Amino acid sequence: MTRSKNPVTAARRGVSLNVILTAVVVVVAVLVVGGILLFKNSGSDEGAVPASVLAPEGSHTLTEAPDGAVTVVEFLDYQCPACEQYYKTVTSKIEQDYAGKITFVVRNYPLDMHPLAMPAARAAEAAALQGKFREMYRALYENYNEWALAPDGQAVSDDVERATELFRGYAEASGLDVAKFTADLASPEVQARIDKDIADGKAAGVSGTPSIFVGGQLFEPTGETYADVERQLRERIDAELAE
Amino acid sequence: MSRALAWLYVVGGGIGLVAAVALILERLAVLADPTHVPLCSINPVVSCGSVMESPQAAAFGFPNPLIGIAAFAVVVTVGVVGLTGFTPPRWFRLGMLVGTALGLLFVHWLIFASLYDIRALCPYCMVVWAVMAPLFWYTLLDTFALPSLRRVHSVILALWYVVIVALILQAFWDFWTS
Repeated sequence: MTRSKNPVTAARRGVSLNVILTAVVVVVAVLVVGGILLFKNSGSDEGAVPASVLAPEGSHTLTEAPDGAVTVVEFLDYQCPACEQYYKTVTSKIEQDYAGKITFVVRNYPLDMHPLAMPAARAAEAAALQGKFREMYRALYENYNEWALAPDGQAVSDDVERATELFRGYAEASGLDVAKFTADLASPEVQARIDKDIADGKAAGVSGTPSIFVGGQLFEPTGETYADVERQLRERIDAELAE
Repeated sequence: MSRALAWLYVVGGGIGLVAAVALILERLAVLADPTHVPLCSINPVVSCGSVMESPQAAAFGFPNPLIGIAAFAVVVTVGVVGLTGFTPPRWFRLGMLVGTALGLLFVHWLIFASLYDIRALCPYCMVVWAVMAPLFWYTLLDTFALPSLRRVHSVILALWYVVIVALILQAFWDFWTS
């Protein structure tokens, strides 16, 4: 910067230096961001993730196809707002419309940023021990605003006690043995099951929620609205069913 | 006040004003009809609804864009007056510097709230973030000599944008998978 003492040439060089450096900053930023995005996309284009990782024996399902031809696997976090939106606008419809035609597997992928994601995953697994996984899955999403959001209705809640109390209510409404449910919530068996889901998710390349796999391939919607996502997911499933 | 700065005030202040008005109109629409979904609520991340309804959206007890409407209108007016050739006294320019500095400070607080607390982006708000940086930066450079900074004026501005974009990408990397 001290090369030139002459104010006139300094100003002239300054302008060009400024323009050049600005261009360098912009180009480098575009290249780095573009490179990361490209790398990420090519990275996820690898071969199909094996079923032993995505949907091992005994996985919880929302609907099952007798022949098991097409399997859709969703890694989700019960407290993740995007997952709740997916439930409301995409997956609950898919589950209904393709009932009996596809196998829809649900795996846990609670994220650290959501304080009640793990307790909610435990509630779903504890219900599953009494054969009521689907009921608890639905109860958790249908009552999302009640347990997952703070009383202001905005931020995600971190009130574990309040949520656990509500989970017990959902358990009771689903006809579960609440005492057993409460004991199971804290059981190492339930925790081990969730840990296995997370480990499988990591192995499958899950980096966030919701992550949906169709036929072993990560489903990557490109649209901007949930309607786009739903349409694209249907297209993917239809294509798999046609094979 | 340089002519370039006057133009920046007119254009930048105008863009900020339009964004603030849009935010107020969306807020009124939501008040009139609680089921109204703002135009800018596209997906879980790009959702001005959740940003507008956050406590940070009314930092002083009333909606932030009211400040924007008042303050950006001043910026536009000062720009127009500057274009007439009027050269404001030093105390006035220092006042503009303090005003834009407070604006930039506020915007940074909102950026961090949006990225790490509310965890959603609001396009109108981002427009305000984007105009606030050059408004402050070129007011600073116009008020004080600062030759070494002037020589790389747009580099520093570009770096600011790059850092903000990087923070946005990083903050929402895991949220929206695809």
